[in-house]
Formats: sequence, structure tokens, C-alpha cells
Amino acid sequence: MSLYETVFIARQDLTVEDVDALTNKFTKIIADANGKVKKEYWGLRNLAYKVKKNTRGHYILLKIESEYPTVAELKRVMGYNEDVIRSAIYSVESFVDESPMFVSINAKDFKAGKVSSKKEPSKLDLVIDQFQFDA
Amino acid sequence: MLPNKNSVNSSVNTNENEDSFVKVSLVNQSVFIRKKKSCPLRDIDISEIDYKNLKLLNKFISERGKIIPSRISNVEIKKQRAIANAIKKARFLALISPIKKD
Repeated sequence: MSLYETVFIARQDLTVEDVDALTNKFTKIIADANGKVKKEYWGLRNLAYKVKKNTRGHYILLKIESEYPTVAELKRVMGYNEDVIRSAIYSVESFVDESPMFVSINAKDFKAGKVSSKKEPSKLDLVIDQFQFDA
Repeated sequence: MLPNKNSVNSSVNTNENEDSFVKVSLVNQSVFIRKKKSCPLRDIDISEIDYKNLKLLNKFISERGKIIPSRISNVEIKKQRAIANAIKKARFLALISPIKKD
């Protein structure tokens, strides 16, 4: 069993319910093969450049703990799906509890306004704010 | 006739200038000794350099969207490599634009 992080971007004109259905389809592949998955929804973000004629996209992060063949199967399925405009799988040594872009676990919560308000800056953020170099 | 004279004079002058410039530059090299600056990421662990941490990565991108070399930012080699890889991952996921136009 090894650790993987998957980020994929769903099309901008999908509704929030569609996004949840899409992520559940992918998590089911891993859950069927006795793997563990945790979801993170990053919201409808602006893309830095156009990807397949989309200017915005739903970002979803999956933290996966499973064998490689199931991850390869997930990669194949995501490649065929037309609602996914971009996807990437990276192997990692450990998971972060909550990434900085975290909005909610399910996309539905984002729409319902259950999202917690502004987070307190972490220790790392304070260190980052301090340093400067002459470019 | 006059312009010819001028040209000769000017050529002589430039030669003199070049000689003096070389002497000055030799002197300057001995005068300026640069101090070695310490790494700006010394308080940050290498595992915290991640493609999701955009606040950190944006510090190491120039106005045009290029990765700032460690020659300028004085980041140590291992961390510079981690930053470069993280920025490339973030670019692929359209979190950071690879180029910024005016």
C-alpha cells in the first residue's frame, strides 16, 4: 500500500451535484479494491490559462492509499471521462491534514453556505510573510 | 584634411581610455568582496515545499512568471530543486500561469 495524491479539474458548467456524482464514481473504483480515499473540494477556481476552452474549473483533490494497479485504473478512467479537463497523479510520502485551498469535503456543502469563514494564518504563513530577498 | 586629423586623434584617445579602464577594473576586483548570504528558506522544512502551497511558490516567481534562479534568491540546492519541481506541477494544474504578459 502506498500513498498517492490526485488532483483533477472538472468542467466549469457542471452543477455542484454533478461534481459530487463524478467524484463518487472515482472514489468507488478505489473503495472496491480495498483502498482508502479522502476527498477535498477546492471550489470553482479561475484557471491561470485556458484548458480545453474553459476559463474556470472545479478542483477536487483525492488522497488515496492503495496499490498501484487500482490507481492506474483510475488514471485510465479519468482520461476517458469528458467532464474531466485535466488530471494528475503524484506519489507522496505523507498527506497534509488540510491543504491551503481547502473549501469543503463535498461540493454540496460549498453551495449550501456551510463553509467556515476565513482561516487563521498558520505558522508557515507567518514565516513566509517575513522573508524577502532583493530580486 | 580636417576630418582626417580628427579621426586619428579620436582613435588615439580610445586606446588610452581602454588602457586606463583595464587598470581601474583590476583595482576594483580586489576591492569588492561579496559576503555569502544565508538561505531564505532555512526556517522552512523541505517537506513543506509543495505544489499546493501557492503563497510560498509565488515568492520565487518573477514578474514575467519565470522561476527565480538560486544565484539571485540564494536558496540552497536541494530546496531550489524542490521549488522548481513544485512550480512545474502547479503550472500543469493551471494554478500558476507559465508566462505573464503585460
